Amino acid sequence: MTLMLVILVCCLPLAGVIAASAGMRAKGIGVASAAGGTGAFAAACALAVRVLADGSYAAGGGTVYIDPLSAFFVVTVSAVVALAGIGSISYLCVEEERHALSRLQLRLYGISFGFFASLMLASLETGNLGLLWVLIEASTLASAVLVALEGRATSLEAAWKYIIISSFGVTIALVGTLFLYYSANELRLSPDQRLIWPALFGNAGALEAASLKLAFLLAVVGYGTKVGLAPMHTWLPDAHAEAPSPASAMLSAALLNTGMYAIIRFKALTNAQLGSYGNGILLVFGFASIAIGALFMVRRRNFKRLFAYSSVEHMGIIAVALGFGGVLGIYGALLHTINHAIGKCMLFLTSGEVMLRYRTTIVNDIGGVMGPAPVVGTALLLGSIAILGSPPFGLFLSEFTIVRAGFTGHAGLTFLLLALLVVAFVAFAYTTASMALGKEHGELLLPSAPLRFIGGLPLVVGLLALLLLGLWIPSGVNTLILRSIGAIT
Amino acid sequence: MTIFSEAVLLDLLSVAILLLTFACLGSKLFDRYVAYYALQSIVLSAAIALVAYYLGAWDLWALAVITFLVKGVGIPVAIRRYLIIRLELKRDVAISTGISTSLIIGALLTAFAYFAVSPSSLPDGLIATSSVSLSTAIILLGGLCMVVRRNTVAQLIGWLILENGVFLGAIALVATFPFIVEAGIFLDLVAGVLIMLTFVSGLAHRLATTNASELRELRE
Repeated sequence: MTLMLVILVCCLPLAGVIAASAGMRAKGIGVASAAGGTGAFAAACALAVRVLADGSYAAGGGTVYIDPLSAFFVVTVSAVVALAGIGSISYLCVEEERHALSRLQLRLYGISFGFFASLMLASLETGNLGLLWVLIEASTLASAVLVALEGRATSLEAAWKYIIISSFGVTIALVGTLFLYYSANELRLSPDQRLIWPALFGNAGALEAASLKLAFLLAVVGYGTKVGLAPMHTWLPDAHAEAPSPASAMLSAALLNTGMYAIIRFKALTNAQLGSYGNGILLVFGFASIAIGALFMVRRRNFKRLFAYSSVEHMGIIAVALGFGGVLGIYGALLHTINHAIGKCMLFLTSGEVMLRYRTTIVNDIGGVMGPAPVVGTALLLGSIAILGSPPFGLFLSEFTIVRAGFTGHAGLTFLLLALLVVAFVAFAYTTASMALGKEHGELLLPSAPLRFIGGLPLVVGLLALLLLGLWIPSGVNTLILRSIGAIT
Repeated sequence: MTIFSEAVLLDLLSVAILLLTFACLGSKLFDRYVAYYALQSIVLSAAIALVAYYLGAWDLWALAVITFLVKGVGIPVAIRRYLIIRLELKRDVAISTGISTSLIIGALLTAFAYFAVSPSSLPDGLIATSSVSLSTAIILLGGLCMVVRRNTVAQLIGWLILENGVFLGAIALVATFPFIVEAGIFLDLVAGVLIMLTFVSGLAHRLATTNASELRELRE
């Protein structure tokens, strides 16, 4: 039964692939992607409930392994896939109507979106760190097609940059995985077991310290490239800005988290053997990312790049929270992961809706979205407030938790964190407020009413979810996070 | 131990791979890049076969055959036919650092790799201790190839060399690495090369150049 759910979670997103291969039009592909994503989310929730009730699930000698941490990430990523799937409907339909996308491009979108989602979810469900690597690299390849989809010279360029930098980085993570395998030499495990995370974690005390250190460093640099930790973040703004908006949402809210999940797995092993060795490293990379993200947000002309730099900043915050460590730090990191995933997914979908209306990503060409498109304008404004960590939205709660974790031991660093958050706040809010409010200008092309409704749906759902998470953490989520902490400490 | 034991042979093969990497770093012709890469992959498959013989492991034999067919033949032929001949690439002019400078940097990196992963710091039980530091050097040199070359095809070959270094390290350090993972790595490699081939030829059509230094529309 649990195995069934595991398979459903990673196979349902392939519905879009089937629809696209069957030669359906934009509507069919979009609806199939949305249905597949929503189904995967439902299955992921059921899976999480089962894991909470029955404990961790393993099959095939640990090749399939779901503990609370993977369940938590599976729920987060599948929620993003569902929202981005719904967002794909209006994107594909409008672009088909306007002949901006050919049939081949529509088909490519359906196929790579489906594979991207399904490979990411599969990578969260394996306990084999080698397969985790293989699946993450494969999801990079699938998403590179999405980045290049619109076929402009700039999008090809961004896709090239993305694939070459990510592949380089991920190859470094592979070397890290090799060293991890090597550090388990003394464990008397069979070769097939030496990459299985629970087997390693159970014997973490016997891992060879020097090669484990090396493994962790290489994994942070390697998977950190996927997470977008500075200074390995250079592919991120280009890829996020050039990809179609639902794909940007997936990149920012799902792919980055998948990379962070891999880092958390390595960090758990390192912590178990070497104490707080990994924390300092994550603090350095985390602060570098927050600083780069915040500074590059100042006066950005392209709002998708603005959102992308905000992702760099938020991934930095999560890394810093993991670096603070302790129950409170990890709690804050995981809570921030789900909040940021929903918030950023919703913001990128909003940017997509803005682009469908104004056909530009330049901030100065857009003003007063609120007037002609009240739902999109409100989503833009409230979504920005939410992503900047203001109450009453979820990110306030998680950033507050992280700051509290920081004050127990790293007071100086916490003040630095707060200062950087202020810079980010001003830079970001200044730009989006001028777009949403401001004087109405810019040429407007409204999609048809049903498409406007379906395009607004994920924005409203995302905002409501963020509001809910800000006012009250559902007991299921709370338990899941607490059990995740138990699983990795 | 005789002088031609497996360990010595494996070390010799690793040295050959390192020299071919240097040859690639010191060359300016696209034909040569691909030829050196193909030769290097064939030597790598011989190294894998040697370890397979030494350990008597069937999956390593399979890996040696796949390496030979995919890296030694398939990828070089595809790059030659679809990129070099079709795009009429001859001399690589987009090299940021002079050849002699990059060779010197490469030598320094090799020395660094030797001291960072020196054979004496590695525990006993390895088949060939020098191969680990040699493969570290190859990984660094592959990265260097990617950094000093601005042409997208040359960057692709740099990445492939880096990947060869990782594989050499894998068989020297952890010969018993699970086959299923290695097969998956291969699948990714092939898919990656296919997608990059498409991108590079797409880029060439759009920009009438495959020079990554001219990819600067996204500067901001």
